[in-house]
Amino acid sequence: MRKYLTVFAIDWQNQFIYRLNFILWRLRNVLRVLMTYFLWTSIFSSQTSVFGYTREQMVAYLLLALFVNSLVASAPSNDNVGGEVSNGTLNNFLVKPIGYLRYWFTRDLSSKLLNIIFAIGEIALLYLLFRPSLYVSPSIMSILLLISAVIIYFLLGKLAISIVFWAPEQTWGLMFIVLVLMEMLTGLIFPLDLLPRWAFSALQFTPFPYLIYFPLISAIGRPVAFRFLLQSLFWVAILYYLVKKVWAKGLKTYSASGI
Amino acid sequence: MAVIEVKNLRKYYKVHQKEPGLSGSIRSLFHRKYYDVKAVDNVSFEIGEGELIGFIGPNGAGKTTTLKVLSGLLYPTSGHVSVLGFTPWDRKPAFQKQFSLVMGQKNQLWWDLPAIESFILNKEIYEVPDNKYKKTLDELVELLDVADILKVQVRKLSLGQRMKMELIAALIHSPKILFLDEPTIGLDVVMQKKMRDFIKEYNHRYRATIILTSHYMDDVKELCDRVVIIDKGKLIFDGLLDEIIKKYADHKLITVIFSKNNVTRADVEKLGELKEFESPKAVISVKRASAPKVAAKILEEFPVADINLEEPQIEDIIREVFTGKDFA
Repeated sequence: MRKYLTVFAIDWQNQFIYRLNFILWRLRNVLRVLMTYFLWTSIFSSQTSVFGYTREQMVAYLLLALFVNSLVASAPSNDNVGGEVSNGTLNNFLVKPIGYLRYWFTRDLSSKLLNIIFAIGEIALLYLLFRPSLYVSPSIMSILLLISAVIIYFLLGKLAISIVFWAPEQTWGLMFIVLVLMEMLTGLIFPLDLLPRWAFSALQFTPFPYLIYFPLISAIGRPVAFRFLLQSLFWVAILYYLVKKVWAKGLKTYSASGI
Repeated sequence: MAVIEVKNLRKYYKVHQKEPGLSGSIRSLFHRKYYDVKAVDNVSFEIGEGELIGFIGPNGAGKTTTLKVLSGLLYPTSGHVSVLGFTPWDRKPAFQKQFSLVMGQKNQLWWDLPAIESFILNKEIYEVPDNKYKKTLDELVELLDVADILKVQVRKLSLGQRMKMELIAALIHSPKILFLDEPTIGLDVVMQKKMRDFIKEYNHRYRATIILTSHYMDDVKELCDRVVIIDKGKLIFDGLLDEIIKKYADHKLITVIFSKNNVTRADVEKLGELKEFESPKAVISVKRASAPKVAAKILEEFPVADINLEEPQIEDIIREVFTGKDFA
């Protein structure tokens, strides 16, 4: 698909325009890691192991969470699609032979690539500072879980945003809830197995732990049952179906009113 | 052969009505009153290949809605529409590759990059072969004289320069049909003229079918032989521009400048409908048939320095059409 490759290339150039913005965004990510790092350090000052995690394991987890988050959650589509639908920019795409969501997924990928490059640099820097015992063993399983996570995140965002077709300019509230849920429930701030067993079990039936937690623990070499990969892929399928249906309906509404 | 066929097109919007004030806002949360806006109401027309049509009408007349239906952005409430044999809102790529929609107030260029990047993207989106792209781009760049600003960030361009770039982006796939919605809006007179020249040249050179909407009568006067007038969603005229004058202008204007200041308002009022009187100048509207007689009478009875007999301005005629003067 050459047109999407070109979208990728142009978006890549475009990203370098707002350099300061991008650097501040990366800084925010690093600050979050530092914050959670100091929080955990103070907890570990009185005990050597918390819920079966040693201090080293916890630091490794948090550093890698930074990496996985850069890959999964770098999605400018979430900030732009709602506005483009509300203000009619979507029209530019509807008259052309190009898929609007595919176009944005491509731009997200371009953003992910840039963010990963920076995340690797940041992790190297933090590694030199804290010298945690970083043990990474990527497997086919962890790569599949990561790819699945990227797609789930994209689809989840587009599903939340689709409310804009019925309530223009009012996506932010719902997006905010989704984003907060993601921060708490995905495993970005702490490993989810710290939660009570019942809560952790319940979470497995939501898409959230498949975004960061499962790909991450798989990448640091802890065994992840095959059924979690299946459940992750199940979420991809179900969200893909929902997004397709809801957007088709939304576009129909959009084309009826022009918003 | 008609490339665009529109039969009994209707497009109604449901709009909800809100009572004023806070209590109205709260009430509208629970109970909404809706009413239909008839944006396009039973409009029919056909357009042949290579025609350049002007769509005119006041704000909210339904011009843009019609263009949106023709380009597949809106579903009609009812009616039949066929463009190049396609039903626009099916949004088939084969159809999309053959037309372009340019809205003067909306842009598609990447704001932070030079326009050339957007052209390259459109080339890929429309799957234009390399050699054809190069040829088309060279021609358009030459026609619009923009070679020196191709590599300048779009945000640094002036409005006129940007509009030229928007046009190139819209034409890079050599569309057979072009919908231009207010292409000259906000441009200065020199730039307006350049745009018009380009549109005319494009129409001639490529035999492209063009529908143009504009608020500026000059655009329409200079470019279009045929005009479609829409008001309040209804088609009220479809024909040659000259026919508007014949159909609606049943009178002519006589402008007289008297050589003495002793001519009074009452004297002139007897001659016809007085449009303007500011001694020594008077403008009188008279029936087309009696115009020569009245002119002769003026010359005979009054001291005249100058006299001029003319057709009313097309703007005036159209304004009268819109302000509800009954022409049925």
